[in-house]
Amino acid sequence: MAFFEQHMHAKPTTFLSKYIFSYDHKVIGKQFLWYGIFFLGVGGIMALMIRWTLAFPGVPFPMIGQFLFPETGGVVPPDTYAMLFTMHGTIMIFYAITPILIGAFGNFLIPLMIGARDMVFPLLNMLSFWIAFISGLLLLAGLFTPLGAAAGGWTSYPTLSTLIGSPGVGQTLWALAIFVLGVSSTMGAVNYITTIIVLRAPGMGYFDMPLSVWGLGLTAILNAIFIPVLGAGVLLLIFDRVFGTTFFLAGAAATSGTGDPILFQHVFWIFGHPEVYILILPAWGIVSDLLSFFARKPAFGAKATALSMTSITILSTIVYGHHMFTTQMSPLLTQSFMTLTMTISIPSAIFFANWLGTIWKGSIRFHSPMLFSLGVVFVFGLGGLTGLYLGTVTTDLYLHDTYFVVGHFHYTMAASVLLGGFAACYFWMPKMFGTMMNEFWAKVHFWITMLGLNGIFMGMMVVGYAGMHRRLYNPFVYDFMANLVPINTFITWSAIVMGLAQIIFVVNFVHAVFFKKEKSSDNPWEVGTLEWTIPSPAPHYNFKDLPVVKCGPHEYGNPNLTGDRDFQYQTEELA
Amino acid sequence: MVARTEIRNLEGRKMVSSIGMIVLLVSFSMLFATLLLGYAIYRLTSDVWPPMGMQRVPLFLPTVSTFIIAVSSLSLWKFEKEFELKKEQILLPLYLVTLTLGAAFMGVQFKLWASMKAMGLYVEAGIFPSLFYTLTWIHAAHIVAGLLGLLLMIPAIIKQDFDEKATLVANVSKFWHFLGIVWFLMYVVMFVL
Ligand code: HEM
Ligand SMILES: [Cu+2]
Repeated sequence: MAFFEQHMHAKPTTFLSKYIFSYDHKVIGKQFLWYGIFFLGVGGIMALMIRWTLAFPGVPFPMIGQFLFPETGGVVPPDTYAMLFTMHGTIMIFYAITPILIGAFGNFLIPLMIGARDMVFPLLNMLSFWIAFISGLLLLAGLFTPLGAAAGGWTSYPTLSTLIGSPGVGQTLWALAIFVLGVSSTMGAVNYITTIIVLRAPGMGYFDMPLSVWGLGLTAILNAIFIPVLGAGVLLLIFDRVFGTTFFLAGAAATSGTGDPILFQHVFWIFGHPEVYILILPAWGIVSDLLSFFARKPAFGAKATALSMTSITILSTIVYGHHMFTTQMSPLLTQSFMTLTMTISIPSAIFFANWLGTIWKGSIRFHSPMLFSLGVVFVFGLGGLTGLYLGTVTTDLYLHDTYFVVGHFHYTMAASVLLGGFAACYFWMPKMFGTMMNEFWAKVHFWITMLGLNGIFMGMMVVGYAGMHRRLYNPFVYDFMANLVPINTFITWSAIVMGLAQIIFVVNFVHAVFFKKEKSSDNPWEVGTLEWTIPSPAPHYNFKDLPVVKCGPHEYGNPNLTGDRDFQYQTEELA
Repeated sequence: MVARTEIRNLEGRKMVSSIGMIVLLVSFSMLFATLLLGYAIYRLTSDVWPPMGMQRVPLFLPTVSTFIIAVSSLSLWKFEKEFELKKEQILLPLYLVTLTLGAAFMGVQFKLWASMKAMGLYVEAGIFPSLFYTLTWIHAAHIVAGLLGLLLMIPAIIKQDFDEKATLVANVSKFWHFLGIVWFLMYVVMFVL
């Protein structure tokens, strides 16, 4: 319930106040979108370099290789390889997917979908973008330091990440960048949570919020609670590197009085497991909404979906130990973590079934956002199932640190979250920029991406199951792995194809934003949530008169509807 | 009617910022909880504490700090109450007491660090001093932020902006009390036990 009505601020007029230091949640959302797309490109090129090295060991990287690695004649050198997978992982997780789903769509959607004029703390919102920006600069600066960027993996485990393992400034900058980014995320989270609590339009109960808002809100809660845990971890790492503290130096605290590298793993994963849900929850929410919108049916068990997402959020806080089965923890602990991990299947199964229930017998419209949503259902299914193998101690002992893990998390995070992000981009494009993207090219983009994705990640699971270890520069020096070169080549070709397909998206997107003359209508997808009751693109103040909410977000097929509409707006009340 | 909405908006703003502040404090608690958890783990996995034949940090200075920060919390609490009641005369003394005590807390911290150095407890000498310096440093950094918050309240007191600045005062106080609680926990866990 709205405690107070926000003012309708005058429209900013200067370039700076309009596009750079804007307080408007929509502009900040777009800033995060560009930021994320930029890093998606950087991280993507790094991925291709990693894949190239694995498929064609010793062959120069095409085109830019000569320029980047002149001393080896264009071949990616081993130490650079370690930097590449480290920076790739860090960039994709923290600088691409997070800003796109949480930064861009969180900012853009929350006020619009709950019927507010802006976030509660617009200044904080603006700061959160610029702090994230500084963090991005810090991270990239690492690439230009004498010893190169961080190379300890995206998890930056000590002792790889202590001064002994990586003496360069790059690792320090990495930790600093993550800390600064954490500050930005926390500011965002405070804003999202408060906004959802106090600025919902009159009449909107929590269960009248679209599931996207549920996903984003739960993500914000996890963010507010767990980002500081990582913050503490990297702060200690920074202190170890800069002030000579001994938190993570190897050696038992008892005998030598020094630190304990495993503690970092605990701290990292206490944050890290919730983090994977921080990433996926917005995508789940968005997909849950879109499936209903395009199946033209009420979301099946919407309340149950929201509650299962909530239970997963809660459960995700107590299963982190499954990342550490191989760190010699007591069997009592591994067994407990295994059991807790398996418990997540229950709520997951509930909302997965609800997704299927939503599309069951729907009159499905296969527009691009729907295709991408169905893609999420498919790849997340695979990703979730492979999680069971890793969550079981016995199988994980074998699979840990192989490409199977890499395949698993790419299916769950990379594939699902990315497809969810694309679905959101295509779907909210008219509300963000006032134009639609080209449907035909969107579909081409979808199918090639989907083929590429599965080629890559299915391939990874296969080679991982065959025993291929992750993070090795050239695994094929081991005889038993030499046979895996052809599959690796296949994976790399899939990656190249998928990479190229993204050019289609970028061209389509840039064209629609800057060059397309034809404006979209206010509600091109025929959807009833609040953001579709206002003009496209959304005006500066969002809602001239605050909407009064009368029904839920997925009301389709009410027999009392007049005309040829099959949906009703959330502001309408039909008997 | 206009006045009524004005009041409602003020109330609303206060509500909003206190929800925001509470969420923020949850975040900060997780930061300190993680640090204290780390402390507990190092301590519990060690056969002897302190390890490496080091000496415990004497209780005197930390106790003084605890006392100072507790009193400053009380005076700030009183200040907030009077601010709400718009009692102009008593505000300045209460404020000055709080500010002085806050500064004194920082002073005692510096003294504590100096005394630790005098005992041969250097940051890089092992996990024991690492923990003590790091936790107190991070806490002290927050105290500095808290002091800045207190300074931000000066215009409110001078201009007697009771309505406009009520949220600022409420938020700075929450943050300050929070730091007091964190210090108290640190005092018990690290120095007393
Ligand atoms: C369906 C339930 C899930 C289960 C049971 C599960 C289980 C696991 C387990 C046991 C591991 C550790 C494997 C090892 O290191 O040996 C793992 C790794 C991982 N999972 Fe999941 N997972 C699930 C869902 C997810 C989701 C939804 C995401 C992300 C959105 C995700 C992202 C990751 C990541 C990033 C890693 C690897 C981290 C690393 O070592 O670098 N998982 N998963
Ligand atoms: Cu996990």
